[in-house]
Amino acid sequence: MMLRGIYAIVVLDMKRFWLDRARLVAGLAQPLLYLFVLGAGIGSSMGGNMAGGSYKPFIFPGVLGLSQLFTATFAAITIVFDRQIGFFKAVLVSPVPRPAIALGKIVAGALQAYLQGLVVLPFAWLAGVPLSPGSVLALLGAMALASVTFSALGVAVAARFTSTTVFPIVSNAVLLPMFFLSGALYPLRGAPQWMQIAAHFDPVAYAVDLMRGALLGQFFFNPWLAFGVLTGIIALLTWLSVRVFNRGEDDSSLGATNFNWRR
Amino acid sequence: MLARVTDAAPAFQPASAAAAAAVEVSALVKRYGEVEALRGIDLTVATGERFALLGPNGAGKTTLFSILATLRAPTSGSARVLGHDVVGERDAVRREMGIVFQEPAIEQRLSGRDNLLMMGLLYGLPTAAARRRADEILGELGLAEAAGRPAKNLSGGQRRKLELARALVTDPKILFLDEATLGLDVDARRGFWTHVRGLAASGRTVFFTTHYMEEAEVADRIALIDAGRIVALDTPRALKARLGGGVIRLQTEDDTLARTWLAERGWAADAGKAELMLVHADPAAVLPELLRHLPVKVRRAEVHEPSLDDVFLKLTGRGFDGENAPAPSGGGWAGGGRNKGGRP
Repeated sequence: MMLRGIYAIVVLDMKRFWLDRARLVAGLAQPLLYLFVLGAGIGSSMGGNMAGGSYKPFIFPGVLGLSQLFTATFAAITIVFDRQIGFFKAVLVSPVPRPAIALGKIVAGALQAYLQGLVVLPFAWLAGVPLSPGSVLALLGAMALASVTFSALGVAVAARFTSTTVFPIVSNAVLLPMFFLSGALYPLRGAPQWMQIAAHFDPVAYAVDLMRGALLGQFFFNPWLAFGVLTGIIALLTWLSVRVFNRGEDDSSLGATNFNWRR
Repeated sequence: MLARVTDAAPAFQPASAAAAAAVEVSALVKRYGEVEALRGIDLTVATGERFALLGPNGAGKTTLFSILATLRAPTSGSARVLGHDVVGERDAVRREMGIVFQEPAIEQRLSGRDNLLMMGLLYGLPTAAARRRADEILGELGLAEAAGRPAKNLSGGQRRKLELARALVTDPKILFLDEATLGLDVDARRGFWTHVRGLAASGRTVFFTTHYMEEAEVADRIALIDAGRIVALDTPRALKARLGGGVIRLQTEDDTLARTWLAERGWAADAGKAELMLVHADPAAVLPELLRHLPVKVRRAEVHEPSLDDVFLKLTGRGFDGENAPAPSGGGWAGGGRNKGGRP
């Protein structure tokens, strides 16, 4: 029942995502803006000062990560919406185990983030990223890990919210600092020491670094460390999400507190 | 005054005394902090029975309903559905029941077919089987031509039928309906109940709450619930027979004075909202005499057969629609009903 439950939740979310497939294209605006406007502006003012090449290829993995991060978070917001629409009550009275709902949400969010990443990927060529079959393959792997991390992060946070007005504010307050500290837009190696230390506590930093390493061969973290940390973070966040969804007593609330079942 | 009719034969007779109960609730208590929503509920619903739960808003209907539907856990006491404990064997209950909520529980943007397909998947059916089952049910409920449209484009009646279809995807042995027809017009409600009656006829247990009295008449037995307790549980006919006669409703210029005068003469008058309710074995015969002698000017007098609403008023001193307000009993349908589409 667990696997079938996860499958059902994933199918549900992907069906709904498919209704909004225009979002895949609209979701290009933000990364392209960063890449070709911010990237071009900052890149030209820095001249050729970047270690190992020009600025646009450098920030491409960061921008890729950004689009995945926001897609995954948006997917996670559906949890908060689901609590407000009745449909989820039908899910709650079905025999789907609560952990399957959390896991299904994480898988569905990761799939959507990955799809969005695939849509952004062709622009690597326009940004002047040197591509080889090997590096693209490694990037596709790193993207998968990043997608799952971001999705688990989104679900773990969204699972605790019942208000669609509060969650976006909170997520922005969490997402933007994580993005800025991740070294997506600048090399961490040259950053002030406190930022380098902070980056060690930022899952986005590991994910972006892994993708950049896969594409450009430049690593800030040891790739094995990044891989290990991301796997650990995924496990931890998944466990946290499952725990929230699995809270006993008043099951109708799907774990979140202060949720009124009737409304 | 309250004639207890104990010898009324129940309209519903379980096939055998040994037949497993579909719902068994004993000493059920639910507390939300200080508030005691259920104060010890005992009831048994037989397999195949149509059972209605009636009461005003805040009486505990929804709480009892959500406990049976495994959405809330009781504070104490026990509840079993189809022999399974609603807490300990939650999944077994979930697998075997179908439920229609008061609020819509379909994904409005997906088509009817996709909604039902999703339900099938959630209940563990393989995709092909879920798809087959969805089409089957859509056909049965006369929704086949609407199957491909997004649910939000369906009419209110069709959407409610889709809710019923959703509850039926896994062929449940027991069906819970929580004010399932709220806000529908009379025709759509009749259409909905025609299907439900068919389902009950095929041996399914139907446990429902409603605000429409004529829907409650469909039930084999009715439990009246008030302030977290069951105040009466019987067949609709026996409940009405409890009043011991017909009902006289009076609107007078001075209800208090009229009431005192009536009380001196042995009439127990229950005060509704701006009217008095009297019960007599032959109300039409005594009304002229009563009007002649009553020292208060009567604005309006009405005689009618007892309705469930009258029974409730008699038992609790209140109507279904809130404090001291018996619902106006208006043509055709006996008794109350909140405003159409009205929300608490």
